[in-house]
This record gives sequence, structure tokens and C-alpha cells, in this order.
Amino acid sequence: MTQLAARGVVKAYGPTPALRGVTLDVAEGEIVAVTGPSGCGKSTLLHCLAGILRPDAGQVTWRGERIDTWSEAARSKLRRTEFGVLFQFGQLVAELTAAENVALPLLLAGTGRREARAAALGWLERLDVADVADVRPGRMSGGQQQRCALARALVTEPRVLFADEPTGALDTLTGEQVLTHLVRLARQQHTSVVLVTHEPRIAAYADREVMLRDGVVDTTGLGLERPFAGERR
Amino acid sequence: MRPATLLRLALAGSRTDVVRVVLTTLSATLATLAGLAALTVLAIPTPPGGDPYARSEQYASALLREPGLRGGTAFALLLLTVPVLALAGQCARLGAPARDRRLAALRLAGATPGQVTRVAIAETGLAGLLGTLVGLAVYLGGRALLHRPDARGRLPLPTDVLPSTPVILAVVLGLPLVAALASALLLRRVSTTPFGVVRRAARERPPGPWAGVLILGGLAAFAAIDPVQDWYRDRHQEQPALLLPALLLAGGLAATLGVVIGTGWLSYTAGRLLHRSARRPDTLLAARRLTADPWAGSRTFAALLAAVIVGGGAVGVRANISAELELRRLTGAGIAGDDNFYLGTLDLVDLAVGVALLIAGGGLVVALVEQIAARRRAYAALVATGVPRATIGRSIAWQAFAPAVPAVAVALTVGLLLGWGVTGGGTRPGGYAQEICDAGAQLCGDPATRAAYTRTEWVSVTPDVPLAQLAGVGAGALAAVLVTVGVGLLFLRASTAVEELRAG
Repeated sequence: MTQLAARGVVKAYGPTPALRGVTLDVAEGEIVAVTGPSGCGKSTLLHCLAGILRPDAGQVTWRGERIDTWSEAARSKLRRTEFGVLFQFGQLVAELTAAENVALPLLLAGTGRREARAAALGWLERLDVADVADVRPGRMSGGQQQRCALARALVTEPRVLFADEPTGALDTLTGEQVLTHLVRLARQQHTSVVLVTHEPRIAAYADREVMLRDGVVDTTGLGLERPFAGERR
Repeated sequence: MRPATLLRLALAGSRTDVVRVVLTTLSATLATLAGLAALTVLAIPTPPGGDPYARSEQYASALLREPGLRGGTAFALLLLTVPVLALAGQCARLGAPARDRRLAALRLAGATPGQVTRVAIAETGLAGLLGTLVGLAVYLGGRALLHRPDARGRLPLPTDVLPSTPVILAVVLGLPLVAALASALLLRRVSTTPFGVVRRAARERPPGPWAGVLILGGLAAFAAIDPVQDWYRDRHQEQPALLLPALLLAGGLAATLGVVIGTGWLSYTAGRLLHRSARRPDTLLAARRLTADPWAGSRTFAALLAAVIVGGGAVGVRANISAELELRRLTGAGIAGDDNFYLGTLDLVDLAVGVALLIAGGGLVVALVEQIAARRRAYAALVATGVPRATIGRSIAWQAFAPAVPAVAVALTVGLLLGWGVTGGGTRPGGYAQEICDAGAQLCGDPATRAAYTRTEWVSVTPDVPLAQLAGVGAGALAAVLVTVGVGLLFLRASTAVEELRAG
């Protein structure tokens, strides 16, 4: 069943077109990789799907309801409650400890401080970074930071996780560890994932790959072997 | 690197760099004007005749005419340079991320770390030099324009004297040199690599008790003024000419520095207390930010606190002088001169405090916008994950007010105590013995009966603690913080745009 959909989405930055009519469906629990060369509009599509940007034309629907017409506050609340977002870097608050960073979305939702911390510690444990719970991002490795960011994105048990080049700043081994955690936990929670990457190796973790070229979906791309494709439930 | 290349690279940069250079130039101009004005007052010669207390009758204002008041006037003008220099320090941080990227690009192109440091120092030094030259031009131009004697042939300003050429050169060349040296000092903790600027880990410990020691030292210097003068008077000795200015300058600087540095401790403590009770993300974010970089409070509020100290001092002086005037009204003895002279002079000081608060407000805006800009990617990421901008806005307001409220209170107290110190102690009642006859005009007027109905009383007036005036200065300072936070929040929307997430 389609949870999230883009219909003919158009977006431009001034005179420069980024998306020129993209249509995409994301089913419940599905992991979709959006790939393509630099500047093809991958991140812009992710931002439109997540309600961070409003498309200039076309529609974005969440469970059949148009979200591109919602107010910023409503879209912000949707991201806080139903979506999780993971970026390449810069997403952790430098002054907060790992546990406080992970607990932040829960605190925003009104959860008490103790309960939020307990939940955060649980997620850090699941991602094998419980030992840095009281450490600030500046003193963690890139992989630890990214796993904390993943914990923060998943702590509200979102219906969709948006990941924009989540391993772009990591070495190959660490990147694969983070991806493995991401896919495993998304499967466990039945969370859909929109994964933006330009690396075929990373895209191979997805159930399906959508290739963008010059702001439109490229239907001529070659298929890839998908090691996790059979695991979808 | 050839000087021409150094010059070209120092003056290259984005629009933000241009704004920084312009603001640095403007600060240097204002500091030059205040400094030259103070030095001009000090350059007024004593009239011939050998009397060191002879008045310079060519001036309309008693502040310039009375030799005993010229030191204080010059000191007040010099104090105006404190918020101006603090503003310059805050301007130096404007556009730091963009400058860091530019410097990293120079390293990538093959520049050595030393060459990159020289480029940064040259930028500050040249902007400072331009500012002092503009300041000198404005000073000389203004001097010619304002040289207009009144109907009695008296000058409103000392436009008939000039500080000596070496003194002018010391200001015009010294200020940029000091600015460049300060830049070099700040860059000691920075190493520019081809991949960006790396700052050594910020100190997380709050400042130690030496901030309090500085404050106490400053207060002691001011409190010592009266006893030291009494000591020389009792021994019929002339006190050294530089003793009073030295006590005023050293005491004022030590106390101001102590308050500014102590704000770091206040920020840290406020952050810890806030964190203990934080139940919401905005207070949590603010608390952690305050404890992570307690020095940010010192940097941000330096100019404002300097202005508040001067304001508190002016309030203290006014309270003491009002008490002295009241005492004179009751006893007919005490300070010389008419009331309007003292109150008019204090009004001028209040005007200077107002100007200083305005300058400090400008510095606050620069500092806050810079802080938001430096953290724009983190803020943009938070907004992208669904954190409402209002939450970030409230955390910024907490970050501003949690240290500002206690710091302003401390600055007011220190200023008040300094003001009392310079005018002979606020709690020490001054007084005079006075004969009082209660028996009516006839009996009191008759020398035969007057003595029987006359008693001698000690009449004294204890200066009030001027709480209302202090509250006024404090409210003005906090209003400046409030307006600044409001202006800063206008920049928050642009700083949290999704484009910030794309900047690598």
C-alpha cells in the first residue's frame, strides 16, 4: 500500500530547475534508493517528500492526504511525529550529549525528561553506542555520530525515514555498519526508507532504486543485485 | 609574499567580509574621535601666572574651564572608548565562517600558515588604520567647523588647542597596531588547514575566582582615592599628579574587566542551574550552550556591561552630589558652585551613558547575528527534523537573558560602588555642625537671649541608594538585549533555510 507519493513534482531554485515533474510511490515498509549524479535533484526530491520544501508544482501526499499545501507548522509536526530525518553531517547539536540529542524529539513531543532519556539510552544500546551516551558529538568518531543521529531519527518510531547520503562522510566499513543498522532497524519497525545516495553500493541495500537524471526519473538505468530485497516483510 | 599580494588578499572577500571591514573601520573611527577628544581636553594649557587652579576663561563650559574638572571630563571621554573597542572586538568575529573558508582556500592554494595569519592580521590592521585616518579627518574637520565663539567670545569646545603631534600619531598608528596584535593573539588558538579552520577545544571550565579579585581590586582602588587624598592633605604634601588618574584608570579597567570576565562564570552557573531544571528542549538547548561556551556571554555582553558600569557609576555620583547639595541647603556649608552646574554635568554624563548603551546595542546585534550564522547548519538540521523555529528562538532568548540579568545586576552594583568611591563613599554621611535657635525671631535675634535658646546639632544627609535610577539603567540594558534578540530572530529564518544543509 502506498504511504507516500510524489505526483509530477516540479521545483526550481531561481532560474535553475531541480525537479521537472517527478512521480514516485513509496509503499509501507519499502526501502527506496534515489540515486543519480550530483545536481540531478536527489536531495531536493527528498526535501519535498519530507515536507521540508514545498514543490512549485505537483503534489506530495502522505496516506492519501496532500501535505504540500499544509502550513509549515503542520509539516514540521509531521516530520517530528511520523518522519525521521538523517543527513550526511551537521545534524547533532554540538553542545548536547549523545543521549540528550537522541531524546530531543521525545522532549519536543512532551515526553518527560527521565522517560526520554531512558528511551534514548535504549536506542543507543541497540546501535552499539551506549558507551558514548554522555559524550558530546565533538568527541565521537564519525561513525558514532552517525549512529547517534540514526538513533535520534528512529527514536519516535517514525513511519518513514529520510536518509540523505547517510554514509557520505564515513569510510567504507563504518558506512556499511551504519547502513546495516539502518536497514535492520527499519525492517524491525516496518519503517519505510527513502535513501538518497550516489553510490550504487549503498543503493544496493534498498528494495528498489529510482534513478534521477536532470530532474526527471531515468527509466533507462540498469538493474542491480539487491542483497536485502528478499527480506522485506 | 609581496606586500601588494598581501594587501590584495587581505582586502579580498565576500559581502560579509566587507561589512566586517566597514564596521571595524567605523569602530576605529569612533574610538579615535573619543580618544582625541579626551587628549584635547588634557592638552588645555594652564593660564600663565603660576596658579595651577587658574581657570581657562576662554571656554563656555565649566567642564573645560575648571582645571580640577578637566581630568574627569577626559576620563569620561576615554570611558566611551570602552564600549567602542568592545564593539570592534565583536565586529572582528562577524562573518568568521566565510573568512575561515577563504583562508582555508588560500592554504589549499599553497599559502603557509604564517602567510594566512599575516593576511588575517593585515585585514584588521588596514581596516583599523583606515578608521583612525577617517577619525583624524573628522576630528580636524569638526575642529574647524565648531570653532565658533559665543557673544562673550567664549568657545563651546576646546577648538583652540591640539594634542601634540606625537600624541596624535600614537593614537592614529597605535590603535590599528593594537587591533592587529589583538587579531594575532586571537589567531594563536586557530590553525588554518587546507580543509578549514581548526580551533583548539574551547575551554569548558568557567573562569576562576580571579574575576572577583579584579572587581574587588577595582573597587579598592576607587575606595582608596579619598583616604589617599586625606593622607597627603594631613601631611601638607602635594600628591603626585598622576596618582588620581592612575587610580581611576586602573580601578575602572580592573572592575570592568572583572565584571566582563565574571559574566563567563555567571553564564556557566546559569547554564548549570537551567540544566538542572530543564524540562523542555528550549531550556535544555540553552543550558547546554551556556555551559559549553561560558565565554560567549563575556564576549557578547562586554560592551553592554561596560556601559552599564558607567551608568551605575553616574547614578551613584548623582546620589552623592544630590545629598551634598541637600546638606548645603540645610547648613549653608559644603560644596561650592551652583546646583545647575552639577546637575547639568551629570545630565551630560547620562547622555554619554545613553550613547554608550546605543553603541553596545549595536555590538549585541552583531554578536548575536554572528552566533546564529555560525550555527546555521545545526539549526537548519534541527528545523528539518521537525524542531519548531519557535523552540530555537526561545532557546536563543534563554541564552541571552539567563546570563544577562545577573550580569547587569552585578555591573550596576559595581558601577554604583565605583561612583560612590569616586565621590567620597555613599554610606558615609557627610555633615556639618550647625547652631539652631527654636525660640522665634525676637528671642533668637537678641544677642542677650539667643545663647539660652540655641543648641548645636550635627546635621548630616546620608545619600539614598538610588534604586529607581539603577532600575532605569538596568531596564534600559535589558531592553537593549530584548530588542537584540528580536532582531536576531529575524535572521533565524534565513539561517535555518534548507540550503544550509547543502553547504559542504
